[in-house]
This record gives sequence, C-alpha cells and structure tokens, in this order.
Amino acid sequence: MLRLLSTLGVLALLACRGGDSSPQRRTLIDSRDTYDPKGLDPALATDVPTGRAVAYVFDGLTRFTPDARLQPSLALRWDLSSDGKTYTFHLRRGVKFHDGTPFVARQVITSWQRVLDPKTRSGGASTLTPIAGATAFAEGKAASVSGLSAPDDSTLHVTLDRPLAVFPTLLAMPVASIVPEAPSSDFGTRPVGTGPWRLIEWKHDDYLLFARNESYFGGAPKTDSLMARIIPEPSTAVAEFEAGNVDLLYIPEPETRRWEQTDERSARLVSAPALRLWYVGINTTRGPLADARVRQAINHAVDIRTILDRLVGGRGRLAAGVIPPSLPGSDTARAPYAYDLAKAKALLAAAGYRNGIDVKLWHSQEPSFMRVAQSIQFYLNAAGIRAELVQREAATMRAAARKGETDLVIKDWYADYPDAENFLFPLLHSDNHPGGANVSFYSNAAFDKLVDDARKEPDSARRIALYQQADEMSFRDAPILYLFFYNELYAVQPWIKGFEVPTIFNGQQWKDVLIAP
Amino acid sequence: MRAFLLRRLILAVPTLAGVLVVVFLLLYVAPGDPVTEMVGERADAATIARLRAELRLDDPLPIQFAHYAGGVLRGDLGRSYITNRPIIADIRERFPKTLQLAVAAMLLAALSGITLGVLSARKPGGAFDRFAMGLAYLGISFPVYWVGLILIFVFAVTLRWLPPSGFGGLEYLILPALALGSRSIAFLARMTRSAMLEVLGSDFIRTARAKGLRESVVLGKHALRNALIPVITVLGLDFGYYLTGSILTETVFSWPGLGRYVVNAISRRDLPAIQGSVLFLSVVFVLVNLLTDLFYAASDPRVAYD
Repeated sequence: MLRLLSTLGVLALLACRGGDSSPQRRTLIDSRDTYDPKGLDPALATDVPTGRAVAYVFDGLTRFTPDARLQPSLALRWDLSSDGKTYTFHLRRGVKFHDGTPFVARQVITSWQRVLDPKTRSGGASTLTPIAGATAFAEGKAASVSGLSAPDDSTLHVTLDRPLAVFPTLLAMPVASIVPEAPSSDFGTRPVGTGPWRLIEWKHDDYLLFARNESYFGGAPKTDSLMARIIPEPSTAVAEFEAGNVDLLYIPEPETRRWEQTDERSARLVSAPALRLWYVGINTTRGPLADARVRQAINHAVDIRTILDRLVGGRGRLAAGVIPPSLPGSDTARAPYAYDLAKAKALLAAAGYRNGIDVKLWHSQEPSFMRVAQSIQFYLNAAGIRAELVQREAATMRAAARKGETDLVIKDWYADYPDAENFLFPLLHSDNHPGGANVSFYSNAAFDKLVDDARKEPDSARRIALYQQADEMSFRDAPILYLFFYNELYAVQPWIKGFEVPTIFNGQQWKDVLIAP
Repeated sequence: MRAFLLRRLILAVPTLAGVLVVVFLLLYVAPGDPVTEMVGERADAATIARLRAELRLDDPLPIQFAHYAGGVLRGDLGRSYITNRPIIADIRERFPKTLQLAVAAMLLAALSGITLGVLSARKPGGAFDRFAMGLAYLGISFPVYWVGLILIFVFAVTLRWLPPSGFGGLEYLILPALALGSRSIAFLARMTRSAMLEVLGSDFIRTARAKGLRESVVLGKHALRNALIPVITVLGLDFGYYLTGSILTETVFSWPGLGRYVVNAISRRDLPAIQGSVLFLSVVFVLVNLLTDLFYAASDPRVAYD
C-alpha cells in the first residue's frame, strides 16, 4: 500500500511538470463563460458571454481597447456639427462580411432599424433612441429613422434629438454592431459579421469555436482558431487550467490567496481594475432610510476594508462615489466613508433613531455576495441597525429591488461602455425608477440636472467637471452603501503572448494573442 | 401483459396532465419576471410592457394555460424566451447526452455494485465484506459534487489519465459516470448483500449445496436470481433519478446535458424551457418506472401481470 502511494506521488510530480511546455494545439481556449450565450444576434445581446462572442464576430462603428479606450472600427473617423447634434461618420471602404458581401453605409441604417423594430425584441433599443426619429420608427409612426441617412456607401449622417456627447461610445456596444441587410431567421446560431473571427461550430453548453477571418480589415488574428468553452463550475475551470487545457482562467474570489501565495501560480496572474462597482442600494423612500443621516450611518457602520481583504481576496479598491477610478470624472482624492461605529451611532441618534432601526438586506445566492451580505449584517447590527437577510435567486431579487420592495440590496454594476455617465445615470438618475436600475429610488433634481447637462456637454473638460460634481453630491446623500470597485484577476498560461486583460467585457477580441513555444 | 401495459400507459395520462398543471402554476406563482431576464437589466419599461403583452404574460391564468396546453397537445413545446430556439430541438440536442451518462453510470453501478454485494455475502463479516461495506458506507455518505471534484483532482489534474471535463469520447465519460454512479454502487452493494444473505439462508439453497453444486453456481444462479427483485427496484429508481437529476454531475464535469439546461432555464426564468423540459422528464420517469415493472416479470416468473 505504501509503495503504491509513493508511486502515485512520483507520478503526480511528473505530471505537474508536464504542464509547463506549450501545447501542440493552434486554438486559443478561453474558460470564462459559465453559461451558454443566448445567441450571437447582436440585437439580442444583453449578457456577458453573448456580448463577448458578438465582439468576436461583429464590428461596430467604434470599439473598445482592452483598457476601455474608444477606437474607430468600421468608422475611420467622424465629425460633429457645431450644434452638437449631427455626426458624420466616414466609413471604411473594402470591408467584407464573412459571406463576401461588401459592407456599405446602408447596412448601418438597416442594422440599427432592426434593433429599434419591436419585432426584433431587442433589449438594447434604448441605446439608439437618442437618434432623431428613432422613437417614431419604433412606434410604427415612420417607415424609417429620419435621423439616419447615407449619401454614399462610405458616409453616414446621424442626427440626434439633442446633443449626447457619449454617442460614439455607445456605438461600441454589442447591440449597435453591424449585421447584413437581411439576416436569416437563425441568425443567432449562424451569424455573419465583419469581425476578426467567424463562428464555425457551436455545441450548446459545451463550446463555441471560431476560425480567424483571413481578410479582416484590421489584420487577420494571429492564431488559427479560438474556442470559448462553457464551464459552469469554477473549480472545474481551475482543474482545466492546471491540466493545461485552457489558456485563460478567471480566478474565483475564494481562490485568490491560494494563487497569490505560491510563486509558480502567482507568476501566471494578471490583474486589471474592472469597470465594476459592488454596492448596496439603499432605498431612499423606505421609512428611516429616507433620512440621509441614516444612510450615512450605514456607510460609517461597515468595515469595508476588512470585508474586501478577507472575503474578496483584497481584489478591489474602496469606493468613494460610483465612478470607477480609471474613468474621467472620478475624484480619486475623495475619501471613502470611514469605518467609525461611534459616528454611525451618533448619526442614527441625530436622526431620531436612538434605539436603532430594522431593515431587510436582500441578496442573491451567489456565494460571494452571500458572504459579503452576512458580514454587512454583522457590522450593521453592531451599530444598532438590525438587518434581516433576505435571500432570493438573482432574477427575483432584481425584480423586487426594481419595484422598490427592498430596503437594502447588494449587487454589482458593470459598465456597458466606459463613461462615468454609465454609472451616474442608470444607478442614480430619477428617470431610472421605478423599474430601472436606480434601486435606491434616488430623486434629486439638482443631481439630475448635473447629469443631464453633462450628457449633452460636448466639451470633455466641462463634462468631466459636471460628472465630478454629480458624484460628489450623491456621495454626500449616500443613496447607496459604497463598497468597492472590483479588480479582475486572471491566470494566463505561460505560452500565451499578447493577452491584455480587458477592463470591459467586450474589450479583448483575441486578435493579437498567440501561442508561442 | 398487453392489458397491463395498456392500463399503465392510460394511467400515465392523468399523471402527466397533473404535472403540466402543477409546473404551470408553480412558475406563475413564483416571483421574478421572465421578460426582464429576456431583455436584460438595461431595457426600458415600455419594451418590457410590450413584450409581456406579446408573450401573453398578462392574460388571465386559465387562458394562458389553455394556450400552453393546446400547444403541448399539438406536440409544440414552444420556443425559449431567451434564445428563441424551439424547446423540442434543445431537448433533442441535450437528452441523448444525459442518457449516455445515465446509462454508463447505471452499467458501472450494476456491474460493480452487484459484484461487490455478492462477494461480500459469500463470507459475511469477513475481511472483504468489511472492506466492501466500508467503501459502500463512504459512497453513500459523500455528496456527488465532492466525489466529482476529487475524481477530477486525482485522475485529471494529478495523474493526467483523463480529461477533467467536457464532452467527447469514452475518456470524457469515465469520470462523470463514476461520480454519478458512486452512490448507486454503494447502495446496490448493500442491497445485494442483504438480499443475498436472506436468500442464502433459505431451504432451497441448502438443497442446492447438498446436491453438490459448485458454490459459484449456487451463488450466481440460484441465490442471485432470487435476490434480484429488490436490486432491480433500486436500479430502476436510480436510473429514473439519473435521467432527471444528474444536474450536479453535469455541472461539475461541464457535461452539456439536460440537467444543466433545466438549471439555466430556471435561473433565467425561461418559462417555456422549464415547462417543456420538466414535462419531458416526467414522461421519461413514467416510462422508466414502467420498464422497471416489466423487468420484474422477466427476472421472476412468479410476478405476472394481467
């Protein structure tokens, strides 16, 4: 028996060494997807696996770099009229779809009209409604979108109802991708785009396989093919990585320390600050929570630094506002609410709740959120804020929060596009409740005005100043319990070259990544 | 026999109708809005309202039910809210994979479980018996999930004999089948052992031994055959359970089967997908039970159906 064990041990050691040499395959293998994409129709893309895959197969007029800067894509450049309402996009010539059809300006119009058409059932139509006449078209009152015109094959005029500085950024979202003029009825499973990769095989719940587009306008990808494997269990993904079968691994939070503490593993790690906020929405219309002092007390009562270090592997940066530090408009000098139990109690007392208050803290069954929620409950109780935990699965929790049925709700928010507006507006503008993402039901006319002004301000310095003011104003009102901005942490195999960690979900198209010996 | 089959099949109809009603009602009582899952977090209220109307989600419940049941009777399980693919096609793609895993697990369990049980019963209390029953005890106690991860760690990551997860040839099947079957192996070993012990104590075994039959014939032919009835019951139940509930195994091993499909459908509130697959799985369960009953008759002539 002992001999058998030692033999196994030796075998194990030998096996571990085997993983360092580069594999014989010429396919990049990603393990990040935990569930099957919906379909690769850009109009229907609303989740991360879908959005990522859409970015492989399709292009928009603009796109994001891995570090979330805006770049021209199908549009070479654009001009803005002096009233800030009309964009003229100069499009690339000579681009072809995967089936050989040439790309022309008219397809931009048909692609966007398709998204706006109610029959398409797109969840992202609101991205394009700033275009003049889009709403009338969507409501069936017009046969085409009046704000869109293509004087020739490589020029597109887009007129907006009112200036919207962030518009070219919106066009890099999956939903605004360009599709052929008459997509087939099974377009979701047989997509045809202009992007760097063609979808060649899709085994549902198993993998998607892409082959490089040899004639991609930005240069063909450096590797033959790309596989997105769907691995629902994080521990299994870790095993696949350790066996050398996948090239990229998302490190689950509880595994963070284990990876950071061994030299061999930590050498594989790459990290980048994601445009992702973890927060607790405080419904500002419910009972004692309507008082800003109570909400400030909640912010002072929780030791977020300890939660971040102990439960999330230190992967993040404490939030002092909703704008991620890497985006213009974030005030990195602003201090987060300090953990100060005495101050929390004093604020509660000042608001007239000397005997504390009772609240319900909702969370989903996602393990990381569950652990954080339990700790928050502990800290709140210590300050006299008696929090009862309510666990629901994510869809139910979200629906309740949007209807205003939750006191506190812990969740996160990913950027769709890298702009402060994508945090300030959906999370805190009064247009977005009830039913929207403003689960705090925060309504502050002064804040709304700052955000509205910023949205139409074409001068970026002035716009950033407005963002900063809005963030500062809402931070003082504390409509949310500010937790932290999350850091993505990946492990990359040593044979992979040229992989930059994306800080936005569709920022890495794998075009310049290769397997090197 | 034919009458029995017919009666059982007719009885299955109200059972399945009941399943249809319960599944339908449960989903509509449960909170959460399928449309918000469909169009994502960023959709505006007007889109959501329009889609609810289009999908008839605001119709009175009886009308919705009639609409759905009508479709089912025509053999149409509808289309997924999320992917817009026909549910039937989704099931057709995934069920063979679940079936493959379940059959492999069952074969493995039947072979090793019954063998362990018979061998243990030969000398109850002996070294092999104690070892095998200890193993069985562990097999019953460990959750499938954990067994699966341990198998991956040992055989895929450390030894590199087999791939950690995924779907493909035989090498992909071994670990998940072992994980899924582990509980059955253990359970069958214990069942077989106790049934064998009971039979081995009876008169006809003494007679068989007295007339000088070899022990292998006594055990294999006379005793085992008579001990099989409870074993078949367990096999049948477990098989039905594997076909409908290998969710954990499929998740741990990234196996693209029906179990994961159902879980995904539930988490995304994909009502037609949940209803369709639960209904389908109920049919499968009823059929497996029926098959089990037929096996009783095949293995024991005293069992007669008429």
